[in-house]
Amino acid sequence: MIAVKNLTKDFDTANGKLAVLKGITQEIKKGEKVVIVGPSGSGKSTFLRCLNMLETPTSGSVMLDGAELTDPKCDVDKLRQKMGMVFQHFNLFPHLTVLENITIAPVTLKLKSKEEAATRGRELLERVGLLDKADAYPSQISGGQKQRIAIVRALAMDPEVMLFDEPTSALDPEMVGEVLEVMKELAEDGMTMVVVTHEMGFAKEVGTRVLFMDEGLVVEEAEPAEFFGNPKHPRLKEFLSKVL
Amino acid sequence: MNGNIFSAIGEWFVDLYDMFIFCFVDGSRYKVILEGLGLTLKITLFSALLGVFLGLILSIMSLTSERRGKKTIWSRFAYGYIDVIRGTPTVVQLMIVYFAILAPFQVDKELAAVIAFGINSSAYVSEIIRGGILSVDKGQMEAGRSLGMNYSQTMGKIIIPQAIKNILPAMGNEAIVLLKETSIVGYIGAVDLTKAGDFIISRTYKAFMPLIAIAVVYFIIVKLMTIGLRALEGRLRKRDSR
Repeated sequence: MIAVKNLTKDFDTANGKLAVLKGITQEIKKGEKVVIVGPSGSGKSTFLRCLNMLETPTSGSVMLDGAELTDPKCDVDKLRQKMGMVFQHFNLFPHLTVLENITIAPVTLKLKSKEEAATRGRELLERVGLLDKADAYPSQISGGQKQRIAIVRALAMDPEVMLFDEPTSALDPEMVGEVLEVMKELAEDGMTMVVVTHEMGFAKEVGTRVLFMDEGLVVEEAEPAEFFGNPKHPRLKEFLSKVL
Repeated sequence: MNGNIFSAIGEWFVDLYDMFIFCFVDGSRYKVILEGLGLTLKITLFSALLGVFLGLILSIMSLTSERRGKKTIWSRFAYGYIDVIRGTPTVVQLMIVYFAILAPFQVDKELAAVIAFGINSSAYVSEIIRGGILSVDKGQMEAGRSLGMNYSQTMGKIIIPQAIKNILPAMGNEAIVLLKETSIVGYIGAVDLTKAGDFIISRTYKAFMPLIAIAVVYFIIVKLMTIGLRALEGRLRKRDSR
């Protein structure tokens, strides 16, 4: 479904170029739940953001269902409709109500009428238990609720794959659970997911494959049982000994 | 002693009243003030509209560099224009527009003033709009784009509605500056509020009353504008903190 080949990304800094991704080749199949872990600065988020071109890769290619996103002629906007993204800081639209947050993209893109989008929006809100917040504004709800709504906002586009960029890192500890619960349900429904996270429990329980990134490379990947039970790379052993 | 003070104050008021009648009522000179006020308001309104229109275009041009991550031909043009306009006095620009550029075309003074003030204001307005747009969190654009909306859709539906709240106070300020700046149109011979005061001074040889009167008129207009802006801001803020 997603095929990444030799992906690199350099950032220009005051001290010259900084290579954040140093050549990543990955394939993500339909239905997979790929969890990416690693120390901060390892390039996890940059990798995820390259998948839907929020960052433009320096070299290499990203393909989605056979279409090349890295091709300059590619209609990236069209392909992004198939890829939902959830951000660390939610990025809800503060000037719109919860329901408007959810319906704005399908309505603006003329994929659904206002009524259809609202019906679908309410349906999704009900699934995450937030139907009563439909007419609230983002400033009136908690962080956990915001993130659940951000997930619903992405789902309202009926995406084929969902990208999660540290979705629980900005939450109060007591709100982490409710967000992970929604993500688990999504996984059980068969959604293809790519998740950057520090929640090792989630990686173990929900992941079908776990990638460990360090210094811009994927240094180890395995199924969760193998990944956590029998880590091979010394850097991963060290990492796990600190976080588990 | 006391009686002297009171009679002195009383006399002063009587003098003031006489002067008022002399300056404004005799020869219907108040009409000059009203006509001047009309021209001041007309020039302010139309140059503000032109300034916002040109400023919007300039801000879009300058923002292309933010989007591309490097300078573009558009942003270079916009910044060059802004540099030149901000770097020269308005009164010089006004005279250049009227005497140097538009002179061969026999354009009337009011139109020349509107063009000059509109161009001048657009440089400031574009920076206000650009700043307002950049003040919206970067994550908002990313969220809009990640949902598949294109750059202009995200700008129109997500960024600009949020930027307006940040832009409004500075825009009000610019409108007030513009109103007062039009007081230099006398340089090209148009009779605005200030020039009308001047006219009365030259007729009556009295400076105090006309000058204070036009100052009061400017102040009242600015005060009304301030009240209107505050009300608008208050309404926007109330909507936002729901």
